[in-house]
Amino acid sequence: MSKTARKKSAKKPPVIVDDELATFAADPELASMFVADGLEHLGTIEQTILRLEKAPGDLSLVNDLFRPFHTVKGNAGVLGIRSVEAFAHKLETLLDLARSGSHPMGQAEIDVVLSAVDTLTIMVRELPARVAGEPHTDLAASCQNILATVDALIAGGSAAPIESVAVPAPQELEGSMAARIDEDSTIKVNTRKLDALVDMVGELVIAQTILADNPALQRPGDDRLSRQMAQIRRITSDIQRDAMSMRMVPIRRTFQKMARLVRDLSKKFDKPADVTLIGEDTELDRKLIEQLTDPLMHMVRNTVDHGIEPGAERLAAGKPETAQIQLRACHRAGGVVVEIADDGAGLDTERILARAVAQAMVPHGSQMSVAEIHQLIFRPGFSTADRVTEVSGRGVGMDVVRRNIQMLRGRIDIQTVRGRGATFTLHLPLTLAIVDGLVLGVGGDRFVIPTPAVRESLRPTAQQIHTTHGRPSVVQVRDRLIPLLHLGELFSIGNARTAITDGTVVIAEDNGREVALVVDEMLGKREVVIRSLGEMFRGVRGIAGGAILGDGRIGLILDTGGLLALASATQPQAAA
Amino acid sequence: MHTNTERTTDAGASANGGKYLTFALGREEYGLPVLKVREIIKVMDITHVPQVAEHVLGVINLRGKVIPVIDLRRKFGFEPQAPTDRTCIIVAEVALASSTLMMGVVVDSVSEVVNVAAAEIEQPPDFGGRRTTDYLLGLAKVKGGVKILLDLDRVLGSDGPIAIAAA
Repeated sequence: MSKTARKKSAKKPPVIVDDELATFAADPELASMFVADGLEHLGTIEQTILRLEKAPGDLSLVNDLFRPFHTVKGNAGVLGIRSVEAFAHKLETLLDLARSGSHPMGQAEIDVVLSAVDTLTIMVRELPARVAGEPHTDLAASCQNILATVDALIAGGSAAPIESVAVPAPQELEGSMAARIDEDSTIKVNTRKLDALVDMVGELVIAQTILADNPALQRPGDDRLSRQMAQIRRITSDIQRDAMSMRMVPIRRTFQKMARLVRDLSKKFDKPADVTLIGEDTELDRKLIEQLTDPLMHMVRNTVDHGIEPGAERLAAGKPETAQIQLRACHRAGGVVVEIADDGAGLDTERILARAVAQAMVPHGSQMSVAEIHQLIFRPGFSTADRVTEVSGRGVGMDVVRRNIQMLRGRIDIQTVRGRGATFTLHLPLTLAIVDGLVLGVGGDRFVIPTPAVRESLRPTAQQIHTTHGRPSVVQVRDRLIPLLHLGELFSIGNARTAITDGTVVIAEDNGREVALVVDEMLGKREVVIRSLGEMFRGVRGIAGGAILGDGRIGLILDTGGLLALASATQPQAAA
Repeated sequence: MHTNTERTTDAGASANGGKYLTFALGREEYGLPVLKVREIIKVMDITHVPQVAEHVLGVINLRGKVIPVIDLRRKFGFEPQAPTDRTCIIVAEVALASSTLMMGVVVDSVSEVVNVAAAEIEQPPDFGGRRTTDYLLGLAKVKGGVKILLDLDRVLGSDGPIAIAAA
């Protein structure tokens, strides 16, 4: 009977963790996700195959079978659980044939898939037990049996010996279904609920700030009250941190996608390259990761296409034939840094400048710093590629990358040594929901500028202000001349101070370009929760959103890149 | 309970009878389907947003939510008027092309909620131009006066994203 195939190995002494479980054992969180996910997929497969049994020949059902198998296989592969991966792979091969119509799904096939699902379920469910060295079911014989049957089916049509398959008895199957329900300590929550929670916590933080700023509470002398307020503030920020952390996911998956991309592209271009991933565990806001994937993909493509040289060229340059590409992620200074580093040819500063001049992006003979020249590659339409390849060279790409990164309130730095490689560094905020900002007053209005964009602030003297056409246009800060942008004028705010020397100038930077914002006063630094202004204000330039300030009013969050664009649009002479 | 039949239809979509919140603009009386109205608040600090059409006053903080506020006076071409102590913001739900959002509408004063029977509503007069009658649900003759019933979705959704309106 089938029992013989599933002997319990309960008497076995605790074993040393097999090396295929190393990754699984090292990351309990990922492991429990894998088990929970895997069991869910296997449950789906089970239901689908039962439906297929009633409607054989329904290819869409076969498709529905194939996908979860593929997912289980892929996830197992990521964790290096080869036994599960290989087993699922074999079944996938059979299903792939069925899916393409070249192998009919008969009763024998359905039986073998069902028993395979059952075996896989046990394999996946018992992974934690194996890691813990606890007794688990020995499935070797049943695996062998199933694999042999699948092989026979693939080789010889449907004339396979069904009897040899160790099909578990139905009651056992039901038992296994019931047992898996309380297995996992992870629950799936709709991200919308999570976002709503984070939103509400944001409101709580705001309400707490408003309360703390209430003049009635600011009267000195009441120690107990201020202690209680401090207590509430502490709890609020704890809740906020925890709520935020629920949306944090490791960057691993995205990195793995990139590694795969490098593999495919390096084959395609015949440029051997190895990828190293560092810091895949670095956690970022889920939304941030979603929006990071596209720009990263562009950058990886560029790296393989333009960054690294063909093997022969590398050998001639005395470098190892296989290029090294490194993807790194880490937390730094309250934000996240993601780097793509290669040991390729590096950026050719002269060629970039020559190209930019040829494409009339910069005037002939202009003096630019190396960093400024490198920033040119982010200009729309810029391309140094001599040929247009399928993946890059059309001059779209890097400008999109920069725009995407800016939308995430991040920035890109480039470090490069000619002939030695290039490193693109993305500096990103930890989350999109909160920004550390400087509150600025203009007239009666309040604006918030994200602190990372601010270089410095100063009260300019009349000597520092220079005019063109009779209008103040630049401020001199040490040896730099920085264009002035009068926020009050730009946004037509009445009763804003008109004399620049009465106000404050905040130097903001956006991808190497600086602008001096003229404001009335600086009102301090604070963390604000970013609110979208909504669909109606989508076209407004220079404003990234709204933030609710301590007094309950809304301050508009400035977007430096947008302000620069707006300024050059409203003052055509600035572009000349 | 006997009024239920009048309220069964979606009050926002047609000129059917139902409950309307009436308010004043200048010397005219307007009505909004009451089901669209979320709340009525006093005029509060409005944060001006640059580069928008004149009738868009800006945004307000409604208990942690950022909602746009428009001035119906300017939208309809009345003379602007400084807020009085009767000036209100009606917070209503507006369906735009792709989403529904909360929006504040500044009016001179809020009058009352009236029951309008379908029989009391007349089709808006055809002035020949599309623009004017487009966002009218109809004219209601109630209590000896005429209330102009508005389709708020069209009033505010008609000119699309507001930011583009100001060149």
